[in-house]
Amino acid sequence: MNKKGLRFYMRIYKKILAQDLKSKLSYRADFVISSIGMIFTNISAFITLWILFQNFPTVMGWNYHEMLFLYGFSLIALTPVQCFFDNNWSLRYYVFSGDFIKYCFRPINIFFYYISEVFDIKGVGQFLFGIGTLIYSWQKLEMGMSVLIFIKLIFALVTASLFMVALMNVAAATCFWLMGTGYIMVTAFKFKDYAKYPITIFNTVFRFVFTFIIPIAFIAYYPSLVFLRPDEIPILTWISPLIGVLFFYISYKIWMKGAISYDGTGS
Amino acid sequence: MEKIITLNDVTKEFKVLNRKEGLRGSIKDLFSRDYNIVRAVCNISMEVSRGEIVGYLGPNGAGKSTTIKMMTGVLEPTSGEILVNGMVPYIKRTQNAQNIGVVFGQRSQLWWALPVIESFNILKDIYQVSDRNYSDMMELYTSLVDIEDILHKPVRQLSLGQRTLSDILAAFLHNPSTVFLDEPTIGLDVSMKGKIRKLVKALNKEKNTTVILTTHDMGDVDALCRRIVIIDKGSLLYDNDIENLKGFFGSYRTVKVRLGREAEELTKENLKRLANELQQKLLDTHPEVNSLTAISNESWIDVLVHEDEIDIMKVVNSIQEHYKIYDLKLEEISTESVIRKIYEGEMQ
Repeated sequence: MNKKGLRFYMRIYKKILAQDLKSKLSYRADFVISSIGMIFTNISAFITLWILFQNFPTVMGWNYHEMLFLYGFSLIALTPVQCFFDNNWSLRYYVFSGDFIKYCFRPINIFFYYISEVFDIKGVGQFLFGIGTLIYSWQKLEMGMSVLIFIKLIFALVTASLFMVALMNVAAATCFWLMGTGYIMVTAFKFKDYAKYPITIFNTVFRFVFTFIIPIAFIAYYPSLVFLRPDEIPILTWISPLIGVLFFYISYKIWMKGAISYDGTGS
Repeated sequence: MEKIITLNDVTKEFKVLNRKEGLRGSIKDLFSRDYNIVRAVCNISMEVSRGEIVGYLGPNGAGKSTTIKMMTGVLEPTSGEILVNGMVPYIKRTQNAQNIGVVFGQRSQLWWALPVIESFNILKDIYQVSDRNYSDMMELYTSLVDIEDILHKPVRQLSLGQRTLSDILAAFLHNPSTVFLDEPTIGLDVSMKGKIRKLVKALNKEKNTTVILTTHDMGDVDALCRRIVIIDKGSLLYDNDIENLKGFFGSYRTVKVRLGREAEELTKENLKRLANELQQKLLDTHPEVNSLTAISNESWIDVLVHEDEIDIMKVVNSIQEHYKIYDLKLEEISTESVIRKIYEGEMQ
C-alpha cells in the first residue's frame, strides 16, 4: 500500500466518478423523481419545525432560526455519507451472496475499492437545500462572515460528516459477523434525525449516549456551538475534529477487519 | 522450470457451529460453543510451473474453491505453506493481487454500469499498466477475438458469454503470471465455450501465463489441459498427465450404440430409461461382470466395458439379442468417464 499514495487513489476515484456520472445521467427520469422526493422530505421536515415554533418561541433556549441553522448544518454534513459512501447500504447483500469476494482480488485497498464503486448523485439536492437553509438562518441570526469564520465553518462541516460516515461504516460492517443487519443500518441512519436538535433537550443518559457512544451530537450540535454560542464553547467542540478523525479511523479498521476475515460462500 | 506456485502440506480447517433445529435451537445457538472442525483442504502439496495450464478438478464441495481462495490470498491456510510468485499470498494480498488474475464464471468483476472499455481503462490505472503494454494487449485481444461490438456496451447489457469473455480479457490485461479461472464456461452455449477455450489457449501461449482452471466440463479439460489435479473431500487424489490417467484405465473401452432412428425415440428421458434398462439386462446376462455401466450421451448410449472382465464382442452380441442396433462405434475411455470413475472411488 505504501507506494500507492493519495494521488494514485484520487486519480482512480476521479475516473470512476466521471464514468459513473456519465452513465447515471442517462437515466434522467430516475434522477428527477428521486430529487423531487428528496425535496418533499425536506420541505415536510421544515414545515414541522415551523409549526413547532409557531406555538413555542424557544425550545430550551434555542430559537427558531438557531434550530434552522442546526437543521441546515446537519443536512450539509450528511452529504458526504450520502454521496460517497452509499455503497455501504449494499454491503450486506454482497457479503451474503458471496459476491463480496470480487473486491478482494485487486491490488488496492478493499475499503476504497468497494466505496468508490457507487456515487449517489441524489445527495446533491439535499446539499443545495442545506446550503439555502444555512444561508437564510445565518442572515436572520445576523452572525456576520469573515474568512476566519468561513474556514471554521468548513472545518466544522468536515468534522461533522466524519462522524456520520464513521457511524454508517460501523453499522454496515456488522454484516461481516451477523446476518440480517439491515435494521442496524436503518437504525443508525435514523439517528441522524436526532442530530438536528440541540443535545441539551435530551436527558443526561441520552446526552451521554449521543456524545460518546453513538456520537451524533457531533454531527451538528457541538460544531454549531462555535457559531451560535461563541461565548460558551465546551472543550468537546474544540477537540471534535480529533475525535472525528479517531472515530473514522476506528470505523475503517473495523470495516477492514471484517473484510479481511471474509471467506465467501461456496461456488 | 520456474516454479510459480508451490503448495506445501496445506490444510484449511473451518470452525462450524453445530446448529440445532427449530426456533429454540437457534436461540441456544446464540450462546453455544459447540463447534465442529471441518477440514476443507487436507495436506495438499503441489507445484505449478510457469506457462502450465492445470485442470483443477473435483466434485462439488471437494475443496477446490477453498484452495483457490488460499492461493489468491483471501483465505489463510490453517497450516502448511503457500508461495505464489515467491510470496505468501495471505500476508501480501495486494502485492500478490498485482501478479494474478481471477475470473469467477458467474460473477463479473467489471463495473456493472460502465462500458467494457472504460472498465479496462480503470483497471489499467489500478494495475499501473504502461500505455505501451496496454495498447499491445488490446491489439493482441483484437487479433484473437471479435471485441469491437462489446467494448462500448455497458457490462450489464452484455450476454453471459460476452461478460465472461470480457472478464477473461480483464484478468489478462495486466499480464499477470497466473490466472485463476473458476468454471469459466458454466452456463455458456457450445460456440461460446469454444471461443473461450480458444482465447485462453492463445493467451496462455502468447504470454506464457500459468492458468489454473477449475471446471466440471470435461470439454474444457480436453481442449486446454495436459496436466490435471484431482481432489476430493479435501485430499489430493491425482496429479499427473491426463494421458497417463487414461493409460491407467486403458483396459476400459466404450461401446457406443444407437438404438433408434426417429427423433421421438431419441428423447432424453427415453434414452435415459433405455440406458438403465440395457445396463440391467447386460448385468443380468453376465453375472461375472461388475463394472459395466450404460449411460445416455446425446443420441447415443455409451456402454463402458472393462475388457479384463468380458470381451467386447460378447457385450455387443448381448445388446443385439435385446435391441436393434442402428449404428455402433468403439472408443477409448473418455476423459469424462475417467474422471467419473475417480470420483466414484476407483483409484484406490
